[in-house]
Amino acid sequence: MCFKMRYSYIIENVMENENTHTIFFDADFNALPGQFIMVWVPGYGEIPLSLSCTGKPKAITIKAYNEPGMKLINYKKGDKLFYRGPYGNHFSLVDGKKLIIAAGSGIASMHPLIDDNSIIIESLKRASDIIFEKELKGRAIFTTDDGTLGIKGHVIDALKNVNLNDFDMIYVCGPELMMKSVFDFLKDKNVRAEFSLEREMKCAVGICDSCSVSGIQLCTEGPVFTN
Amino acid sequence: MDVSCNVSSIKLKNPLILASGILDENGYTMKKIIESGASAVVTKSIGIEERKGFETPVIYEEYPYFINAIGLSNPGIDAFASEMNILKGYNVIGSIFGTGPEDFSYLAMKMQEYGAIAVELNLSCPHVKGFGLEIGSDPDLVESIVSEVKSKVRIPVFAKLSPNTHDIIEEAKAARKADALVLINTLKAMKIDINARMPVLSNIYGGLSGKSIKPVGVRYVYEVSKEMNIPVIGVGGIESYEDVIEYIMAGASAVEIGTAIYRHGKGIFKEINNGILNFMKENKIESLSEIRGCALR
Ligand SMILES: Cc1cc2nc3c(=O)[nH]c(=O)nc-3n(C[C@H](O)[C@H](O)[C@H](O)COP(=O)(O)O)c2cc1C
Ligand code: FES
Repeated sequence: MCFKMRYSYIIENVMENENTHTIFFDADFNALPGQFIMVWVPGYGEIPLSLSCTGKPKAITIKAYNEPGMKLINYKKGDKLFYRGPYGNHFSLVDGKKLIIAAGSGIASMHPLIDDNSIIIESLKRASDIIFEKELKGRAIFTTDDGTLGIKGHVIDALKNVNLNDFDMIYVCGPELMMKSVFDFLKDKNVRAEFSLEREMKCAVGICDSCSVSGIQLCTEGPVFTN
Repeated sequence: MDVSCNVSSIKLKNPLILASGILDENGYTMKKIIESGASAVVTKSIGIEERKGFETPVIYEEYPYFINAIGLSNPGIDAFASEMNILKGYNVIGSIFGTGPEDFSYLAMKMQEYGAIAVELNLSCPHVKGFGLEIGSDPDLVESIVSEVKSKVRIPVFAKLSPNTHDIIEEAKAARKADALVLINTLKAMKIDINARMPVLSNIYGGLSGKSIKPVGVRYVYEVSKEMNIPVIGVGGIESYEDVIEYIMAGASAVEIGTAIYRHGKGIFKEINNGILNFMKENKIESLSEIRGCALR
């Protein structure tokens, strides 16, 4: 186990929407969907980011709302990306049909799971917030707060119309309130589901207690939990 | 065979205590650690008011060393009451930090009120200005803090000292009224990333801990045990039962374990406890007191 700070060169910076970018970088470490890395923006801080691509090349998808994030989305091809990790557990990989439920940029950690065998429910504030448009089109049911894309409403409004028995696994990631609503909705249904939680992370190695929920460290024992 | 030990008036079922600052800001986390086999936990160092701590990066890891600059982040003593409440009936040692005797005695009384079995005075955080280092290297201040706290609380008072000093004996003597000394806190250190051409930690300086500081910790425990007649709790770089035995042979009554958790997980307490038991069996040792300080020359 070595979590030493390293760097990789950036291959491409793709703008997904106004403040969300996907940065591809050349790295050969092994990682699985759901795992995250701690990205260091020298002089600005360090932030946890899920890997939005886990193969080769790897990628992170950043919604810029703090200083390190804002710096990061302006990185260019050839720049060095500093990071440590990967950290955390991962989503279970299944062969069958998958239902992916996300809100906003929560889709990033589940992006590596998207394939021809998956259906996505993606909840957005408005149509212009969409990310991974190419991969989602044709596979996704959208909900938006303002009705500018898909169903006007929340994930549950879409989930109600889905036959859950069609799926071998359900993956969920997004704001806690949204995940709670999905968790409650699925409670009395006989389905397999995994939830990826997000918390402030400082050390990412299970010693600082900043990410703990009920005595469990999300950075080492999570971020993925089953229903 | 008996792995229990006494630190002043406190009896512990084994010598393995969780060190301050590692998995000890939340009540439920500390409860898990005790349930994992630690005989007691030391809380994160708590101050009068909430502190957010330093900006990230706050740690740098490159086995066998570990540098942190968490920056004494803590919720403040009033808010901490709810975490202590979760731990009613458990062996919790309240770690506290402040700028002088008044802060420390106020915090110690609060910890006593919350049910702590002892207080640990953090006189030694190496990377936060105004706390720790500056205090630890001022023997008069150390002496007045320890005396003041001792006069205000009934529970045992432990003084955690700084290794970042030119004369540990002078510092230890200044804290002699404490019921036990805790040695050592982290050593002031830093890391420069040669590819980024700058220090990694946002605070630039941090505290070195983990396996690489064990020989320093053992040396301090040995030196103080040799010079003074006071219980010592050994801390620094403990990862295995051999490390614990080494500290005990240097004179430690008990030990604290921190950094090693990131590699070994919470299971480390049971693992080490089993290791100690096997060692005792193989070497026909009935009680840890037989080997305590046996290496002192
Ligand atoms: C992340 C981290 C946070 C720490 N925070 C505190 C603290 O709040 N108060 C304190 O007295 N010591 C603190 N320490 C020091 C430890 O309690 C211990 O003295 C030191 O790390 C050496 O032991 P170890 O090598 O087993 O970690 C901290 C250490 C680490 C690694
Ligand atoms: S981020 Fe430090 S314990 Fe999880």
